[in-house]
Amino acid sequence: MELPVLNETPAASAGGCSSHSCGSSDDQLGHLSDEIRAKVENHPCYSEDAHHYFARMHVAVAPACNIQCHYCNRKYDCSNESRPGVVSELLTPEQAVKKTMAVAANIPQMTVLGIAGPGDPLANPERTFETFRRLSQDAPDIKLCVSTNGLALPESVEELSKHNIDHVTITINCVDPEIGAQIYPWIFWENKRIKGVKGAKILIEQQQKGLEMLTARGILVKVNSVMIPGVNDKHLAEVSKIVKAKGAFLHNVMPLIAEAEHGTFYGVMGQRGPTQDELMDLQDACSGDMNMMRHCRQCRADAVGLLGEDRGDEFTMDKIEAMEIDYQSAMEKRKVIHEAIAEEMHSKRAAKVEKAASHADEPKLNTRPVLMAIATSGQGVINQHFGHAKEFLIYEASPDGVRFMSHRKTDLYCSGDDTCGDGESVLQRTIRALEGCEVVLCSKIGYEPWDMLEQAGIQPNGEHAMEPIEDAVMAVYKEMAAAGKLDEVSADKRATA
Amino acid sequence: MALQIIESCVNCYACEPLCPSKAIFMSSKAGHFRINPNKCTECEGDYQDTQCASICPIEGAILDANGIAVNPPGSLTGIPPERMAEVMAELQAH
Ligand code: SF4
Ligand code: SF4
Ligand code: SF4
Repeated sequence: MELPVLNETPAASAGGCSSHSCGSSDDQLGHLSDEIRAKVENHPCYSEDAHHYFARMHVAVAPACNIQCHYCNRKYDCSNESRPGVVSELLTPEQAVKKTMAVAANIPQMTVLGIAGPGDPLANPERTFETFRRLSQDAPDIKLCVSTNGLALPESVEELSKHNIDHVTITINCVDPEIGAQIYPWIFWENKRIKGVKGAKILIEQQQKGLEMLTARGILVKVNSVMIPGVNDKHLAEVSKIVKAKGAFLHNVMPLIAEAEHGTFYGVMGQRGPTQDELMDLQDACSGDMNMMRHCRQCRADAVGLLGEDRGDEFTMDKIEAMEIDYQSAMEKRKVIHEAIAEEMHSKRAAKVEKAASHADEPKLNTRPVLMAIATSGQGVINQHFGHAKEFLIYEASPDGVRFMSHRKTDLYCSGDDTCGDGESVLQRTIRALEGCEVVLCSKIGYEPWDMLEQAGIQPNGEHAMEPIEDAVMAVYKEMAAAGKLDEVSADKRATA
Repeated sequence: MALQIIESCVNCYACEPLCPSKAIFMSSKAGHFRINPNKCTECEGDYQDTQCASICPIEGAILDANGIAVNPPGSLTGIPPERMAEVMAELQAH
């Protein structure tokens, strides 16, 4: 029997899918209007399957911020690390436009230009809107995106809608000012620094108002929330419900990143981040009828390339100054490539729907779910050497099908050498990151990691190189079932899964 | 009477556009933002609170006319200074 692919089966044809927290927007592409579908289809953040093909970039033009978050420290910029809010090179709008066009010409899969900081884009309205204004004129085939804390959002909506911006991301961590005061020590509002609950209340009001104004104008809104155990973890399902009711399109619950060496409040005070399990559980709890984004990479404000990769080094300002760009011809080339990718995505999707339909009434396995880790560099196929993977995509296989769960970084926000770790080898760290997975699928793997993985109870598998991820995951799951490896765990474990 | 920005400024640009007296400038010599003491009015007549000091996220980066930090350690981040010292010592020991 063949298992349906849960994430990417349009809801209309996927029996039983609605009871599951199907990964992301693709489930809903089936019943979206053509207009919205066109907006998300080649957006790597809004569409789970698009993120295997299409790339995004951020330009760091917005240094100032109008609030303080306990997970951010504006002082810190270690070249080894990569986390939101951190950049190495601040750009003027003019440089940003140049960089965007250079990247678009050299990475034709790049479809989306976002401004995400390193401060708050809307706290830097001149720099942000100048960049958008020029780009919508000079590079009309690039989608524009902005990410904001929401404080200055209501006053910016009018201007945003003028620039034909399809998507806005608002970071909303709470709707309760008491909880907000534990996340935001202060905001700058009407020429004053306002601390505590009072500040948080204003921020929350502005965020909610901004959200309503955007959805009323038909601009798609994604809500990002940072999961902070003991602070807002119990509260985020409520947040999800409220933002969904107000028309947000996608919810992205991200884990808190807190290390003492980042110098953030949470880092220094020893606040822990969520475990992989806690994060997945909360994402499931939030999902209900809300689209959950599970493939966010918490990119830097100057990231370039496919999600999960960063090609920023190829596009530093000195390199860009030396490039000759003929954007007209680049645009024609981009169009051809985008169409080819879209066609490939469509035919893959259609094939999956067909497969799912033809096997819908076959008897179901009665085996427990299994988590598998995939080494891939994109295109939705297993195409990466184990040792080269800086992150793994985690899929769950079960009798209900295959679903994308999350990605896990192996280098834990650092370069992966031993200079700032505790002497643990890269390989040991990688194995630790794969905890809970029973199989790892990659294009190739060496003897040493093979042994170590096996000792850690994770089965390496290089037999499915270049195969589509979901097909390979299914095939391996069925092999495991046929070999009797899944039978020993009974139905009660399945019920809780 | 004037405020002063010192070298712990991280060049976040937040203060510069807010100054009603256009006293804040990027000093390429110093490598960070500075305040022209002849222009700074401490926002008298324009705002109740000094604007630069009210948005600056960096504790200790802005000093008042007496050379005292307007935002002393712990006042913006909420991290008690003792705790910060403890953690920094611990990190250094590694
Ligand atoms: S941070 Fe998340 S939403 Fe933003 S570009 Fe990266 S993956 Fe997309
Ligand atoms: S105190 Fe007021 S006038 Fe003086 S530099 Fe700061 S913002 Fe400008
Ligand atoms: S707000 Fe503070 S850190 Fe930012 S530029 Fe001004 S003085 Fe420097």
